[in-house]
Amino acid sequence: MKGKRIERENFLNALKRFAKEGPGLLLGFERKDRKFRTKVFRKEFDDLSLFNPVFQVNTAIHLRRIFSKDLKIVCILRPCETRAYVELTKLTQVEPTSLICGSTDCFGTVSSKRDDLSFPEKPEDLKTFLENLSDLRYACQTCRHKNGVFGDFGIRIDSDWNFWFIPYTERSVPLYELIEGPESEIPEAFKREEERSKTLFQTDLQEFRKDFEKCIMCLNCRDMCPVCYCVDCLFNSDEYLPKGDALINSIMRSKASEIPKNKEVYHFIRMYHVSQTCVGCGSCEEACPQNIPLTKYFKGISERLSGLFDYVSGRSFEERIPYTTFKEEELDNASD
Amino acid sequence: MDYDNGEKDFINIVGFACTYCAFKASEMAGSLRLKYPEGVKVIQVPCSSRVDPAFVIKAIFEGADGVFVAGCHPGDCHFIRGNYFTRRRIFALKEMFDAFSMRGKVRLFWTSAAEARKFVEKVTKMYEDLKEGKNEG
Amino acid sequence: MKTGIFICHCGHNIKHTVDVKALSEYFKSIPNVYISTDYSFVCSEPGQDLIRKSIEKYKLDRVIVASCTPSLHGDLFKDLLKKSGLNPFFLRRVSIREHCSWVGDDIKKNTEKAKKLILGGLFSVVHNVPLEEKVVDVDKSAVIIGGGIAGLSAACFLSRMGISVHVIEKEKELGGHVKLLKKVWPSGRSGREIIGEMVSELEGRDNVKIYTDARVESLEGYFGNYVMRISVGGDKEIYLKAGGIIVATGFTPFDPSIKPELSYGKDKRILTTLDIERGLDEIELPQAPKVAILHCVGSRDESIGKSYCSRVCCINALRAAQTIKEKYPEAYVECFYMDVRAHPKGGEEYYEEIQKMGVLFTRGVVAEIVPKEKALLVRGEDTLLSEVFEKEFDLVILSIGMSSEIGNRRISQLLKVSLDRDGFFLEAHIKLRPFDTAVKGIFIAGCCSGPKDVEESINQGRASALKLFGMLNKGYTFLEPFIADVSEKRCSGCRMCEMVCVANAIRYEAIKKVAKVEEAQCMGCGLCSATCPSSAITLKGYSDTQICDEISGLLWRE
Repeated sequence: MKGKRIERENFLNALKRFAKEGPGLLLGFERKDRKFRTKVFRKEFDDLSLFNPVFQVNTAIHLRRIFSKDLKIVCILRPCETRAYVELTKLTQVEPTSLICGSTDCFGTVSSKRDDLSFPEKPEDLKTFLENLSDLRYACQTCRHKNGVFGDFGIRIDSDWNFWFIPYTERSVPLYELIEGPESEIPEAFKREEERSKTLFQTDLQEFRKDFEKCIMCLNCRDMCPVCYCVDCLFNSDEYLPKGDALINSIMRSKASEIPKNKEVYHFIRMYHVSQTCVGCGSCEEACPQNIPLTKYFKGISERLSGLFDYVSGRSFEERIPYTTFKEEELDNASD
Repeated sequence: MDYDNGEKDFINIVGFACTYCAFKASEMAGSLRLKYPEGVKVIQVPCSSRVDPAFVIKAIFEGADGVFVAGCHPGDCHFIRGNYFTRRRIFALKEMFDAFSMRGKVRLFWTSAAEARKFVEKVTKMYEDLKEGKNEG
Repeated sequence: MKTGIFICHCGHNIKHTVDVKALSEYFKSIPNVYISTDYSFVCSEPGQDLIRKSIEKYKLDRVIVASCTPSLHGDLFKDLLKKSGLNPFFLRRVSIREHCSWVGDDIKKNTEKAKKLILGGLFSVVHNVPLEEKVVDVDKSAVIIGGGIAGLSAACFLSRMGISVHVIEKEKELGGHVKLLKKVWPSGRSGREIIGEMVSELEGRDNVKIYTDARVESLEGYFGNYVMRISVGGDKEIYLKAGGIIVATGFTPFDPSIKPELSYGKDKRILTTLDIERGLDEIELPQAPKVAILHCVGSRDESIGKSYCSRVCCINALRAAQTIKEKYPEAYVECFYMDVRAHPKGGEEYYEEIQKMGVLFTRGVVAEIVPKEKALLVRGEDTLLSEVFEKEFDLVILSIGMSSEIGNRRISQLLKVSLDRDGFFLEAHIKLRPFDTAVKGIFIAGCCSGPKDVEESINQGRASALKLFGMLNKGYTFLEPFIADVSEKRCSGCRMCEMVCVANAIRYEAIKKVAKVEEAQCMGCGLCSATCPSSAITLKGYSDTQICDEISGLLWRE
């Protein structure tokens, strides 16, 4: 596979040219005044940062319902965010021809709920800082897709801490060509190796109830999930989460219950709905005001259920989501 | 739903049966006067592929001790391909319940319109397993 | 909401294990139930009267009949509601016989179960909406894709019955493969003759139009109102209206050059059964030639991915043997077979006859044919003697099988009809519906759905024509009321329903970015509804609310 070595200068120049020729936008991270933010760049790219070790939201959530064609938006995001983007294109929630979305090698992130973070001033110290980042979020500690191998292109770091831009699809070629410098074979060893297999997630209802005791049913987890794309969610109507008179009705039909009602139904159904497309980014847990360990459950179930079909969400633009297809000969042991 | 793995004297099972195969089998079970436990209640759906996993989850948490989905044998679906999707979907749902140590509560089986005895066997076995508290399957 | 509940005793069929009186008492206390009563035979005249009078007296808008299973007396009760001025889809049948009284013995438990079942029906019926069985006109015309024997049979039948027929044939001549046959077994008539008869019948009718050198370009619409665009001669475009379509695209003869070990095409002494239809005059053979005939070439062969039997090739092999023996009575003819499947009527007798002519049958598999100057070397294994053999022949005839027609894939995509894994058209059910496809109004006939002989193809052509005629004859059709329905404001446009739809009845509307249901195509399975995560698409008659509330009813506790 071929790619190009990039340094700060030639890459920023390529982006500037891209923005002018486009006209284009860049969605990525910014490092300014010792703080990391997500930003849309238009003309000035000097504060562009390829990394953002502070996780607030999964940036792909902002890409939903962008349908205009003939735009040129470059996105340089974390692998989990790019994977969410790929899944959203398969669900016709984003117009893929308007975006060139790539992923960088990720060192993991810490929660934005922390106030005690301090970041190094000088860019040279960034390398040590990122490599030694501790107290990562659970989602990042258990992440097995930290490499920039998703989306339209990847920005990867080799063992000598050189940066490489590697195009994966046709869409990234216009940007790739603007990068000055020779094209060459990419090195064999990159910075990170993928971890090997994990144990399957196993729990029981007792543990679930203990963990979700504090759940106030604010539905933040659903609202911040990048792949919960429905414009009018199932839980807005009264069949599963009755409200008002419907709530009284349902209580009259069953036994007395604690309020809020139907916590298990909500979380179980949502867990099933995102089981194939979940990218394990932990946005749900990040958004939870009660700090419930949502990632453990959602990522765990998603890995088990997508593992049944050898499916990895966001791995390919062409791979069909498992519930929308089938093989005639398969799952002989499905029936009891 | 009460969480316990102990024995009970009466349990509720809700089942979904497709009009063209499984429901017909259950009708024939009645015509043949075959007996199965009274706790088993059947809902008719046009195709087993109508069954949304959300229904199963709702039934479990609303008091059903077990839920089954019964359809035509794969390849014989009246709607040609519906039950291939049922198979994937319910298999994944069972895997999810397995992760929560509740695999025995959700079952999937195939019967043709003529297999009344098989229908009775499957629901009876399910009833007996769950009565003994075998929730983990 | 005013509901009426009518509980049937069914003589003593329900009464003997379900306390019907207690049940009807119980439901009197449920709000919105204006009448709850039980009766000995609800389906009888007085029973129906009771229901009708109750509807009128209490101005009921929902009716529950708790009796036998819904598939019995379905129309009786629906008509009853219609006569009482109520939409028939406000009726809810609850089975407390086949699913309760007949399958349980304990009265107390059965009564509880019946109570829950009726409650389920009650909670669900509240959400029933008035549905309509819409009537649409159908065009009394048909398009037949393929002008071979099956297609022509279908065309003859349909045109005789007054249906306008368009026959589309991709070659310049009608007749498919049958016209190449010198003598069709067992009648001995020539293929050309049989085809010729059918063609002149069709040409003599004014409700028949034949298009040769024509291709299907697109298909829109639904049963009763299809619009097909075809191209004739590569450029002229014609639009055809049709009520139904019969696909009769035939087959492609197996090409033995895929198996290089048979050396077909490398030597003119190796021919197929189709080649020799042209006659044996082109080949120079000695007075008493040695001829080998190979069965199962291109069939029952895992190595080339064709594990099916082509059904006609054993009889073809016997015919080839007969042709050789008739021209060269002293010939040594040896057939190499795995089984001799002379299945049609008279086939086994024919096999006996050919053996009496002196033709030898060796059970064996031929592995290789090596052309040498003086003879052809045939190497194989005799499976009965478990011996390897090497024999010399002057002529080898390969009895080839049928492969699926190459054009099938394209037609399958245009018409949205599935193919099986061998590339043949998939019938809706191999035993119960062998001429239907998943798509209403599109039928299949002949070899396009699997190998068949001439007689079977003619019969299938007539059978699918008859079925289509039955559907078109009334001049109108009812649309299924239980079809999918999209709530546009709730739809996210993710197209998952479109991806799974079995009848290809869902289209994506790119401007509004929502899914749209082609009502006449929808089969009413509900798969789309279960696939949609927000249930923006639902199945009328089986909506989420109806089923969820039925579940609540079944699990109700005091």
